[in-house]
Amino acid sequence: MAFLKGKAAWVLVAMVLLGLPGLAAQASPDREHRIKAVFLFNFAQFVQWPDSAFAGPEDPLVVGILGEDPFDTYLDEVVRGEKVNNRSIVVKRYKRIEDAKGCHVLFISDSEIPRTEAIFAALKSSHILTVGESDLFFQRGGMVCFATEAGRIRLKINLEAVQDAELVVSSKLLRLADVAGPRKE
Amino acid sequence: MSSAEAWRFQWTAAIVVCFAMALDSASAQDMESLPSPGQLKRMSLEELMDVRVTLVSRQSEKLNEVPSAVQVITQDDIRRFGVFTLPEALRLATNLQVAQVDARQWAISARGQNNVLSNKLLVMIDGRTVYTPLHAGVFWDVQNIMLDNVDRIEVISGPGGTLWGANAVNGVINIVTKGAESTQGGLIGGGAGTAMQGVGAGRYGGRIGKDVYYRVWGRGLRHNSTDFSNGNDAKNPWDMLQSGFRTDWLPKEGDRVTVTGNLYSGDLDQDTPSPTAVDGQYLIGRWTRDYSQESGIQAQVYFDRSARTIPAIFGEDLQIYDFDFQHRLRLGDRNALIWGTGYRFMRDDVVNSPALAFVPGHKDLSLFNGFLQDQIMLIPERLRLIVGSKLEHNDYSGFEVMPSGRLAFTPDDRQTIWGAVSRAVRSPSRIDVDLYLPGPPVPADSIRLEGGPGFKAEDLTAYEAGYRVVPMPNVTASLSAFYNWYDNLRIFEPVGGNVIQFTNGSKGEVRGVELSAGWQAMAWWQLKGGYTYLQEEFWTKPGHIELASPGSQGDDPDHQFLVQSMMDLPAGFQLNGAVRYVSALPSPAVPYYSTFDLSVVWMFHSFTFSIVGHDLAEKSHAEFGPVTTRNEVPRSVSARASWRF
Repeated sequence: MAFLKGKAAWVLVAMVLLGLPGLAAQASPDREHRIKAVFLFNFAQFVQWPDSAFAGPEDPLVVGILGEDPFDTYLDEVVRGEKVNNRSIVVKRYKRIEDAKGCHVLFISDSEIPRTEAIFAALKSSHILTVGESDLFFQRGGMVCFATEAGRIRLKINLEAVQDAELVVSSKLLRLADVAGPRKE
Repeated sequence: MSSAEAWRFQWTAAIVVCFAMALDSASAQDMESLPSPGQLKRMSLEELMDVRVTLVSRQSEKLNEVPSAVQVITQDDIRRFGVFTLPEALRLATNLQVAQVDARQWAISARGQNNVLSNKLLVMIDGRTVYTPLHAGVFWDVQNIMLDNVDRIEVISGPGGTLWGANAVNGVINIVTKGAESTQGGLIGGGAGTAMQGVGAGRYGGRIGKDVYYRVWGRGLRHNSTDFSNGNDAKNPWDMLQSGFRTDWLPKEGDRVTVTGNLYSGDLDQDTPSPTAVDGQYLIGRWTRDYSQESGIQAQVYFDRSARTIPAIFGEDLQIYDFDFQHRLRLGDRNALIWGTGYRFMRDDVVNSPALAFVPGHKDLSLFNGFLQDQIMLIPERLRLIVGSKLEHNDYSGFEVMPSGRLAFTPDDRQTIWGAVSRAVRSPSRIDVDLYLPGPPVPADSIRLEGGPGFKAEDLTAYEAGYRVVPMPNVTASLSAFYNWYDNLRIFEPVGGNVIQFTNGSKGEVRGVELSAGWQAMAWWQLKGGYTYLQEEFWTKPGHIELASPGSQGDDPDHQFLVQSMMDLPAGFQLNGAVRYVSALPSPAVPYYSTFDLSVVWMFHSFTFSIVGHDLAEKSHAEFGPVTTRNEVPRSVSARASWRF
């Protein structure tokens, strides 16, 4: 490599030597759900829960997934080691809504759409931020909904439902979201 | 000589040298890989909302299926490598020749024929051409956008005349800024360093009502002087102040109404009693409606004014009014059609001097165009034929036709093999026809350079082929090869008496290979790189006499390498490095150089801090121009910080 002058050669050599690790394949989840997983983590930071939502000051903040999990282990990877107001964040997966009562953010998978009415009835007067990704979820009373527009993620927030659950959403988040009530049909 | 005469002489000399260089010198989807979890977590909400989750662009093509040589520079690349100016950002595209001439001048081209007055590369910023009809090139020193607002820079090497129009001969650079909805909230940032003395910028974005977003921004910078090869200070620092705004009204899905504007003013020192003064303003209005991925319309109007005053030498005030319309539609199952039409009116006023003149001083120019392109699916999802042509009319050479045909074979969703034949022209500009150097009246015995009254367009017929592949989920590679046949290239020709004129007296062959690749080695480590090979040959056409050597069409390296490494480390740190090698330039001779950049970026809550070193291998190195006039590019270090709120 005669063309490389001293230091440049060094850096190139360093890059090659330090490198060449095995190929880390990244398959599942898809791009969209990776970004959504990061949003879920962000919701934990931009929403305030009443103290009664936690058993103690050190109790973890629970991000739950109800139904089919589209995030694989990615969500766990995102929240690993993170803390919000001194609380660690844990991910839990639920099959039935009855088990999900102790969580703070609940991602309701599209697999649960047929049961949404029962789900929202069961969550009445709890302090859980419900998150979903379909219009039906939002129309039936979901709080935060992911929508895709021009290949990017937009957020829809049903402020009334959020306030009913005694949650406070930061203005930073509200500013970026479409704040709307569920569409009356 | 009085001092005034002395600097005027220097100025004339500098301009002559400039022309002499034209003459004598002779010149994945970006990877679209997703950042690591650690990095995504540290993004602001605005940035998260700006990440593309589906890989559809407006042209609705995945990059690995695009049948041309395209590279994309992303906002992430710009931030990681801590670039302050647009030309510096363009160094990140391996399919361009980018050379810094002095503190503010750059020679930038694709596929060769590079010089300071490079005239075969079309550059667009937000749908507005920044290619000047004065000298058929780009004044890079006034293209100082706020780089935080850039969404992406698409760099297409190869002719784009059919869609983009005249002057997209060797390539197109398309700079796209973010929609105002993606830049909500505040941003304050600044930096200082050894080359760029200081930059400060601020931006604020908000929302009016339900669906109108806006941002306003301002930026100021001052760049230090650079040194000649002999170590003398070239005394050419420059500064620029700018501000702008953008509003986007998104009444409903698929509809967007954008109004954006900018004004700037700057002083460019040149070791003269008073600096060159530049200022400009533009206002763009654009409406796009996407009915579906394959159908939509776009209408755009803009006004652009730019002025430049080189005291006692030259002044220009250029106003451009432009209207464009495009319509995309599907015809049956197999045809995706795009057609459009446009009109541009240019009013150019120059202030002439004995040193340099454009005659007539005032000129109105019109440009009409219409184009039609059809993408025919010969075998569904596998074999596509793209044929089309542009018809353009300019005031100098009349009608120009720019057809192209392109065939793309996608055997599976990991590979695309493509080939293309295109014609493109560089239409005459004022410099080719109206230039007088020195300006009249010229004593009969003095040698003078004049524009050629019969100057025609420069022609290119290009043959290209390429292969794009995603061999593994975390590896992308693209290879393209081209053979360009040029005719009617501009030369300086002695035409009797003491007169030298521009004529279309040269032709040439340029061939080359562009290779680029990206590798997501680990979730936290991405490598990108590229290699470009170029070989050029030019001849004087029979019946013409060329003042310079036929090889004087440009000054380009045979070989260029670039390797970039981007690492995400724990605790919000990023470590980035780039090595580049550019082989020697033939004439004017510039030795080869290899150098490297390093940067450390630290994202802490809503703050970002970085320390960036550019061109660290040597104290300084030369990149372009004759040894007597060129400046060296110094090793530089800078620190910067920004805060989002």
